[in-house]
Amino acid sequence: MAEVIPTKEMPPGLQVENVDDRIMTLNVGPQHPGSGHMRIIVKIDGDYIVDADPDPGYVHRGEEKMAEARNYITNIPHLERPVIHDSCNILYPYVLGVEDLVGIEVPERAKYVRVIAAELNRCIYIQYWLAIYGIFLGHSTMFMWPAGDRELFIDLMEKISGARVTHAYFVPGGVRNDVPANFEDVCLRQVNYFEKRIKEYGDIFYDNPILKARTEDTGVLSREDAIRLGTTGSVLRASGVDYDVRVKEPYDVYDELDVHTNVLKAGDSYARSKVPWLDMLESCNIIRQALEKMPKSGSIRTKLKPNPKGGLDEVYRRVESGRGAAGCYIVSKEKPEPYRLKLSVGSFRNLIALPYLLKGEKLGNMPAVYWSLNYWPVEADR
Amino acid sequence: MGTATGIIKALNSGVKHLAVKRFTLRYPEQKLKFVGDGYQFDPTTGVGIAGLKGRHMLFHDHCTGCQLCSIACEGVAEAIAMVKVPDSWGQNKKAIMPQIDYGKCVFCGLCVDACPFYALYMSNDYELSSFTKEGLIYTPAQLQVKPQVQQDSELIIDKRGARHG
Repeated sequence: MAEVIPTKEMPPGLQVENVDDRIMTLNVGPQHPGSGHMRIIVKIDGDYIVDADPDPGYVHRGEEKMAEARNYITNIPHLERPVIHDSCNILYPYVLGVEDLVGIEVPERAKYVRVIAAELNRCIYIQYWLAIYGIFLGHSTMFMWPAGDRELFIDLMEKISGARVTHAYFVPGGVRNDVPANFEDVCLRQVNYFEKRIKEYGDIFYDNPILKARTEDTGVLSREDAIRLGTTGSVLRASGVDYDVRVKEPYDVYDELDVHTNVLKAGDSYARSKVPWLDMLESCNIIRQALEKMPKSGSIRTKLKPNPKGGLDEVYRRVESGRGAAGCYIVSKEKPEPYRLKLSVGSFRNLIALPYLLKGEKLGNMPAVYWSLNYWPVEADR
Repeated sequence: MGTATGIIKALNSGVKHLAVKRFTLRYPEQKLKFVGDGYQFDPTTGVGIAGLKGRHMLFHDHCTGCQLCSIACEGVAEAIAMVKVPDSWGQNKKAIMPQIDYGKCVFCGLCVDACPFYALYMSNDYELSSFTKEGLIYTPAQLQVKPQVQQDSELIIDKRGARHG
């Protein structure tokens, strides 16, 4: 693996370069190279990748700037748009931050409901991600199974929040509505079945020698590089770093739950694809614990003033989303709208590892490495 | 584990699923059953009632034309416009009521949270497709109609796996 990327003075596509007959430049994307509106400019020598340059930004929607013109409540539906499959987790840091700014307490039951919804959402996202990883590697069964089993949790989220995706469920002060009657039983039944199902993925996918041959020892990211490049989430944990925001900086009720971090040492594509799967099994454990410890009745939402104002203050909160640490930085200047809002998302921080990992790989391994970074283009562009 | 055992294990795992019922919901014939009658909101407690966020239901005898739903939608989708209604209810002095453009609505339900008079709820109706853009704009008279929704299918989990039935 190369140590440094050569610095470039001009943006990609504009610089004058010496044309080498052996090197061919290939644009992968931006029309959906598998999944995601982003381009990877790959330079190949025969079948081997010499240089790779990711070029994100095609789906930039200015979410952060939009947030400055809307108040703290009407920001909710559009701030979850970057990752519609993981909408609770991307909204979580914003909601925690606004609670700090406005200074309201969250009822105990609402905290547990939030944790359950966030873990369900994490599973929904990882299942979708896994389905695409399967079809990237030509394993069509691995596309069908997660895409179908995902329905179990989408059904649960629909029962809780009333929407299949983009739930708009978390609000500063709690959640918008209580869970329906006998939700605990339905949830436990579906979580148990879901866990049984995803354990079967081990046989057909993760222990499959064909998958291992494709992904083992491709795109190896060492522990030191993972820390130096600032990667996060499953990419960091697959390289042997024990870091999970749920454990290191517990928010809501994660400190009362027994959260186990899954760490693998290899740092290759196989490890990076396996950590999210182990995370899903861990999520099932967390949901079961939360269902057990959740207060059976009680308030679910602290009433907020119609147009809440923050003080002259700034706040940064972060949570563990499906793709790593997701943070939200809010500056408030005694107005109903945030003065500045900045999202720090796992996808963008993991993308920086891509040129390092692709160098020296075969072109055929590119999808396996690219998608193992747990990268969601829309979230990275925000 | 050797390569041969791994492949046999993987094949075996797939073969077992020949006996499992299909999970697919056959949509136009089967339709999912939802919790409750759609998302509602109780302004006295400030907490919603769980339900599907589908097409809105407007209760003409409660609506006062206060425009709070329209103001709540301003920052989200700008889907709600206040229009004149011919029949003048006692509580609605201005005789204006919300008209919702489902080409813009994102079904977040913040308008329902904003209504302090129990006048705007959401219903289980989600089949809103139309051949024209004008067909997506629902007038107050159309929003008043209670939707007839067929709900027969729900998720069943038994020894033969999960299915819709």
